[in-house]
Parts: sequence; C-alpha cells; structure tokens
Amino acid sequence: MIRLIAQREFTEFVRDGRLLWAGGIMLLLIVTALGVGWQRQSHLHAERHAAQHLDYEDWLKQDERHPHDAAHQGMHVFKPEPPLSIIDPGIGPYVGSTIWLQAHRQSEVKFRPAQDATGLQRFGTFSAAWLVQILAPLLIIVFGFNAFAGERELGTLRQLMSLGVSSRALLWGKALALAMGIGVLLVPGVVVAAAAVVIESEPGRLLDSALRFLMLGLAYAVYLAITVFVVLAVSARASSSRVALISLLALWIVGVLLAPRVMSDLSRHVYPSPSRTEFASDLSTDLKSEHDKAWREQFGVSTGWGPDLPLSKWGVALQVNDHVGYGVLDRHFGALWDTFEKQQRMQEWAGLLIPVLAVRSLSMGLSGTDFVQHRDFSVAAERQRRVVQDIMSHDLIDHADPLGDRHFAYQADKELWAKVPPFDYQTPSLAVVLRHHWSGFAILSAVLAAAVALALLFVPRRLPL
Amino acid sequence: MKARTFWLVFAHEARVLIADRTLPLVLTLFALLIGYAITNGIVEIRARDAAVASILTKQNERNARNIDQLQRINAGIETPAPFSNAADPANVGGGLGGRFAYVPTSALAPMAFGQSDMIPNYYQVTYRSRVNFMYDSEIENPWNLLSGRFDVAFVIVYLLPLFIFAMSYNLLSAEREQGTLRMLLSQPLTLTKLVLAKVSIRAGTILTCAILIPVAALLIFRPETRDAVSLVQLAAWAVLVCAYGLFWFAVAVIANAFSRSSAANALVLVGSWVVLVLIVPVLLNLAVSVASPAPSRTELATQTRLITVDGLRRYQKLFSADYRYSDKPDLLLPKDGRFEVQSRPKAAFMLQRDVEADIQKLLDRFDAQLEGQQSLVDRWGVISPAIIVHEGLAALAGNGSQRYLHFQRQVATFHATWKQFFEPRILESRAMTEADFAAMPTWKWQEETLRRQLSDLSVRAIQILALVLVVAGIGFWRLKKSSAV
Repeated sequence: MIRLIAQREFTEFVRDGRLLWAGGIMLLLIVTALGVGWQRQSHLHAERHAAQHLDYEDWLKQDERHPHDAAHQGMHVFKPEPPLSIIDPGIGPYVGSTIWLQAHRQSEVKFRPAQDATGLQRFGTFSAAWLVQILAPLLIIVFGFNAFAGERELGTLRQLMSLGVSSRALLWGKALALAMGIGVLLVPGVVVAAAAVVIESEPGRLLDSALRFLMLGLAYAVYLAITVFVVLAVSARASSSRVALISLLALWIVGVLLAPRVMSDLSRHVYPSPSRTEFASDLSTDLKSEHDKAWREQFGVSTGWGPDLPLSKWGVALQVNDHVGYGVLDRHFGALWDTFEKQQRMQEWAGLLIPVLAVRSLSMGLSGTDFVQHRDFSVAAERQRRVVQDIMSHDLIDHADPLGDRHFAYQADKELWAKVPPFDYQTPSLAVVLRHHWSGFAILSAVLAAAVALALLFVPRRLPL
Repeated sequence: MKARTFWLVFAHEARVLIADRTLPLVLTLFALLIGYAITNGIVEIRARDAAVASILTKQNERNARNIDQLQRINAGIETPAPFSNAADPANVGGGLGGRFAYVPTSALAPMAFGQSDMIPNYYQVTYRSRVNFMYDSEIENPWNLLSGRFDVAFVIVYLLPLFIFAMSYNLLSAEREQGTLRMLLSQPLTLTKLVLAKVSIRAGTILTCAILIPVAALLIFRPETRDAVSLVQLAAWAVLVCAYGLFWFAVAVIANAFSRSSAANALVLVGSWVVLVLIVPVLLNLAVSVASPAPSRTELATQTRLITVDGLRRYQKLFSADYRYSDKPDLLLPKDGRFEVQSRPKAAFMLQRDVEADIQKLLDRFDAQLEGQQSLVDRWGVISPAIIVHEGLAALAGNGSQRYLHFQRQVATFHATWKQFFEPRILESRAMTEADFAAMPTWKWQEETLRRQLSDLSVRAIQILALVLVVAGIGFWRLKKSSAV
C-alpha cells in the first residue's frame, strides 16, 4: 500500500512538471557545482603538493650560512586540500592555506581566497553542500506542501479514507514519494561526487575517504528526512495548502537564512573574540614580560640582546628566548582558537532548533574543511617551525665561539639543513573527526525523531477531513 | 474625481490591512529586524572606532617615548638597548617607530559591514616589504564569516523582498478567490488603478519603515551623519532602498497579473527571489572568478621565498658580520650626527627593499586581477538588483571593495614614502634627530570624492529604476490585457 501511494504521488510530481522544472534546475546546479569543485580541488592539491616539495628542496640546497639566517629564510608549508572539499569547501574561502615558518614568531595562515574576491563572495560559496543545505529543503517544500492540504481541498482525502487507507500508510507513502523525488535529483550528483572523491583520494587513504563520503551521505539523508517530515506535518495540520505553503516558506527563511546569522551574532556575544589589536598587544606584552624574566634569571641582565651578554652566548639566548615564547604563544593562540571552537559548538547545538547549523558543521567536519582540521594544520605547522628553530639553536650552541665575540661569523653547511625533516603532514583521521562531531549525528538524529513524532502527531489515525 | 477613487481605494485598503492585522504584524516584525540590524551596526562601528583610537593613542605614546629617549641619549644619560634605540634609524624605521595606516569609518558605516570584517582596517607600516604585512587579516571566526553578518544591508537585500511578498503575493488573487474582485470592478475603477492604490499603501508603509528607522537611529546615535555630505549620502541611500523595494513590488504585480491562485503566486515569487538573490550572485561570483582568475597565491609564496633567498645570498657578507656592541658599547650612541647602523640591520633593510621591488610585478597582478573582477561585477551586476544594491549599500557605508582597494593603494604610497625617508638615514648611518621625528612621514587618509561616489550611485539607481520600469511595465500591460477577473 505504501509503495502504491508513493508511486502515485511520484507520478504526480513528474506529470505536473515540478520535478522537471524545479528539479532539473537543481540537478544542473549540483552537477555544475561538483564539476567546479573538482577542478578547483585537483588544481590546488597538485599545486600545493609541488610547491611543498620544491620548498624543501630549496631548504636543502642552501649555501653555507649562519643557522639563524637559514631560520629567517624559513620554510613555507601548504595546507593540503582534502578530496571531499569538492563537495563542501567549508570555511576554505575564509582561511588561508599557506604559512611561512620563520624565526621568532608564530605566523598566521595567510592568503584567504575571499580576499582575492569581490564583495559578491559574501553571498555564499557555490558548492554542492550549499545547494543541498539551502535549496534542497525548498525543493521538498515545493514538492510536498500540498501533500495533505491539497488532497483535503480536492476532497480526495475523504475518498481515500473511505477506501480504508490508513492515514499512517498515507504518511509513510508520501514521505517515500518525497524521498524518491529528491533522491532522483541527487543520484547523478552522488555518482559524480563519488567518482571525484575516489579519483582524488590518495591511494593509502581511500578507505578513509570512502567512509567519510558514506557518512556525509548519511548526514545529508537525515537532514533531508527531517525536512520531509516537517513538511508533511505542516501540510497535514494546515487549514489550506496556501497556509501550508506560507508557513513552510516562513520556516525555511527563518531556518536557513535568518537564524544562522542571529546565532553567529549571539555566539560572538556569549564568547567574545578579541580584535586583532587586542590580540597582538596582549601577546606582545606577555612575550616581553616573560622574555625579560627569563633574561634576568638565566643571564642576569635586564635587557635582551644587550652589550652585557657576550656574543658567544647568543645561541643559548636564542634557545631560551624561543622556549619561553612557545608557552606564551600556545596560551594566546590556544585561547583564541578555543573561543572560535566554543562559538561554533554553541551554534552546532542550536542545530537542535535549526538543523542546518548541525548539518553544516557535520558536513564540514567530514569533508575535512572545518575549523578543527584547520587548527590541526596550524598546530602541525607551528610544531615544524619549532623543530627548525630548535635544530638551528642547538647547532649555534654547539658552535658557540670560544673567543666570545663572534656569533654571526659562523656558517653551517648542508649537513645541518638535512637534519630538518620534511614537513610531512597527515590530515586527521576519521576517528579524530568523529570524536569532535559525534554530537552532530546525535543532534540530527534527535531532530529527526522529533520531526517524525510531529508528523505522527499531526497525522493521527483518524485524520480530520 | 479620478484621484478621489484612488484615495478611496487607498484608504479602504489601509483599513482592511489594519483590521486583518496584516499591516501591524508585518511592520512590527520588520521594524524589529531592521532595528536589531542597525543596533548591531552602531555597536560594531563604535568598537571599530575605539580600536583605531586605541592604536593611535599607543602610537602617540610610543612616539613621545622615543623622542624622550632620544633626548636622554643625546644628553648622555642613557645607553639604549640595541634593538630599541631611538637614535638608530633602522630601529625607528622598523618596529620601534612604524606608523599605523588606517581607514577611518564612514558616517554611514553602521549600515553595511561589507568587507570590513575580513580586510584589516589598519596596517603597521615599517620598512618591511608589503608582502609581510598586507596579507594580514582581521581576526574573525571563519565560521562566522561564512554565515555572514546581520546588518541593515542584509535586511534590505534579503529580507525586504520577502516582507514585500508577504504583503502582496495575494494582491489580486485573494480578491479573486473571495469573489470580491468582480464586485470591485463593477465600480468605476480600472484594474490598473486598483493595483496602484493597493501597492501604494503597502509600499508607502514598509519602505517608510525601512528607511526611517535606520536613518533616524543614525542621526540620533552617530553625530557624524549630521553634516551636509552625509545627509546627501543618506538621501542617496534612501533612493537606492526605495528603488529596490519598488522592483520587488513590480515583480509581485506581474505575479498577480496572471490569474493564478495565491499559493501559486507565493511559489513564483519565492522562486524569483531564490534565483535573483541567492543563485545569480553566487553564480556571477563564480563566473567572474573564472573570467578574471586570481593569480596563484602558492606561486606568490614560492616567488617571495626565492627572491628572499636571492637577497640573503647577495648580502651574505653583511649578514655574517657580527654586532660589535660587546666590545664597543659606544656604538649604541650617536656621535656628531652619525649613528653607525650595524651591518645586519643594513642588510635587512636592503633585503626588504629588493624583495619589494622584485615582487612588485606579481603584487600588481593581484591588484589588477581584483580590479578586473570588480569591473566585471559592476558591468554584469545589472542581471540581479540584489547585486546592484548589495554593492551600492556597501559602497555607501564605506565598506565596499572599492574603498578598500583605494585604501591599500594609499598604504602602498605611504609605505614608499616611509622607505624613502629612512633609506638615506639607514644606508648613510645618519643618527635620528628630534627634527627627524617631526619630519617623519605621517599617515593622511584621502577620502574618495563625494562626486565619484554619487556618480557611481546614480548609475546603480538608474540601473534599478530601469529594471523597475521594465518589470512594472510588463505587469501593468498584462493587467490591462488580461481578463484577470
């Protein structure tokens, strides 16, 4: 019976042109988005991979020079572009991809793509994820707003009931029809995406990518199922199909457009993040006081790098300076990043009311384009910088000048450069992602349960005719 | 007599809209949203002003301290540390005396955040090359950048059309469905006049609300908006918002001109909104980035490094010369107007100078690319009124891409002047004097001319009004032809 209902309903979508027109446009958009995403990802990935390789070669090829100057030349590290960013570029446009690891200070990840774009960028990033998160629910509304309300207006609901069709069978059948309607449109996209992900994955991480892809599919399936049941519930409850449509559109606008911005403001209000001036000045103040303290304790001098300290001690001084700095840097950057994560977590939990927030976070997480994974890269890059620093300072200490008045005259050779390992960054595994994002699944499942319950409540066994 | 029927319908419609609570409900909700948005804007811009004020205070204190130190050094009271020495031009031209270049907030800044949450509003300019500081970005959670801000521009561009639809999706279809349309048209009243009167009461109320609330809030809480220039800008702002609102009313008229059900109208209207506000801008952004692609940042990074390596090699000798403070502490003091700048800082200065010169071409390509994209957006933006208005509102608020480009160009010029000032002092080892501190380049912001702004805006307003005329023309033509009853 359920299948029969679903079939009849689906035929109606096809016959009245809704599937062809609304769906056709959607299909076209999704396939285009995937094509563009694929091209972008494979280009970026290849380019960064090559640049990373070149960079290390240049490091090894350095002439004889002072280790500290080598540290000034530093290294660039490039963030790999994960294969699933084809589907969801996540925060990609708003974070950089390149860090120049240089002496003295932790630097920012630079070159945000959005800075090379016009103001239009702020309308959103064209991606398959964006389309499914924002437009697919609208499509379900268009397909389903008159599911019950329309039948009631036409009087066919009364007929159906008189035939002994159970109202619950009607609900499940209509839900299945909506799922089929949206499913038919998404299948080509899923096929293209799957092919792209398989082709772009590194062979060793194919399983990881495949699992991520499957979970991503699951997350979106739950998200769309939520929409289906909310649409059916409202359609069953509404007095007319006009009222159903207007209420659903209002819900959609609030849910995907209004609420995310309000929540973003609210989260910033609850967990305020510093401005760049505040951050930089707090960091400098702390660094200076810690440095001064270390200089007093270690060398008994009041100012850093002054004439009181013989040049032969500069290697040790460099190391002391760096090591004191590490703690301060960790504290400040850690606090800032924790604030970002708290802001995001709060918005994710708001997903209980606004599912798009939960699915967005989950989707980015699984695609490897969320903040957690960006942070992981930043931390790894900083670790690499410290490795370089420490090797250089060590060498300076080993070669401290016995005469006491030389420091920069010393030149290290290629053997030292080779001591620095290449930056071999592995993106976090799925297990790490799930540890951060299990709540996303929990939230979406809870919302789905609530949506089904709502639909069951509004489609009682004895449906009001 | 004719005008009287118009007002009769107008007044009647007003009574109906109030009685069925549509008008109070829609207006209250809209007022709340736009009120929230403008509050958000005012609070945010105050924080930005405060941040700039605080860096300027710090800069002034720093400057005073430097001069103070210089006096003490010259008086022989102080022997400074090597890397914070006000007599050393390499120190002062670097981090010790570097000046902030900043873009001030415009009077209308609270109306649209535009690019201001992403592109920095100030840079500390030193002799270091631009690659080192121009790509810093404002600290903001990327997730929030992705979500976008709740500012007045958002309410106008995205939400105003939806509120207009809520008021007018069933402009005629409701009358038709209730059977009152036939009755109405049996009176001496044309369909055109009926629709005009219905649209007038709706447009009059919601657009008044959309304009009055933010403008009043600005006039009260932001005194900068009370001068003549700002008032002209506010007027231009109002024209833009009105034109945009009228466009969507015209779309609603078209939808109603076909004898379809209210539900179908709602669907068509939301569909047009999805296409024009959500999809077209995103696609245009994509098209523009394909037509005028950004040069590779990875390439820039690699080039920067290669040029740096080259420079390090060129100045190898200078870099390996040691500081000689330990055996000669006198080197930290100026003598007869000279200060012997040590080899390493000298080398660092020349390295940065060379990197800048060599990378210039590449940086220019980025600037040209962005300008190319912007001009494409300006040309093709006309395919969606949402784009025209979004860009126009950001520009009026002084937070648009153009003004930031203008800012960055000025920073580049200031940076060049700064280096010019310090180059002979560092390379010829001239000690800093008090007169130097007075003569050091200072940052002066040159605002874009009002004329340019207005000509830009009038183009936008004309574009939208043309769209309004076309769409409304089609709507009313259709109304005349149709037997909409």
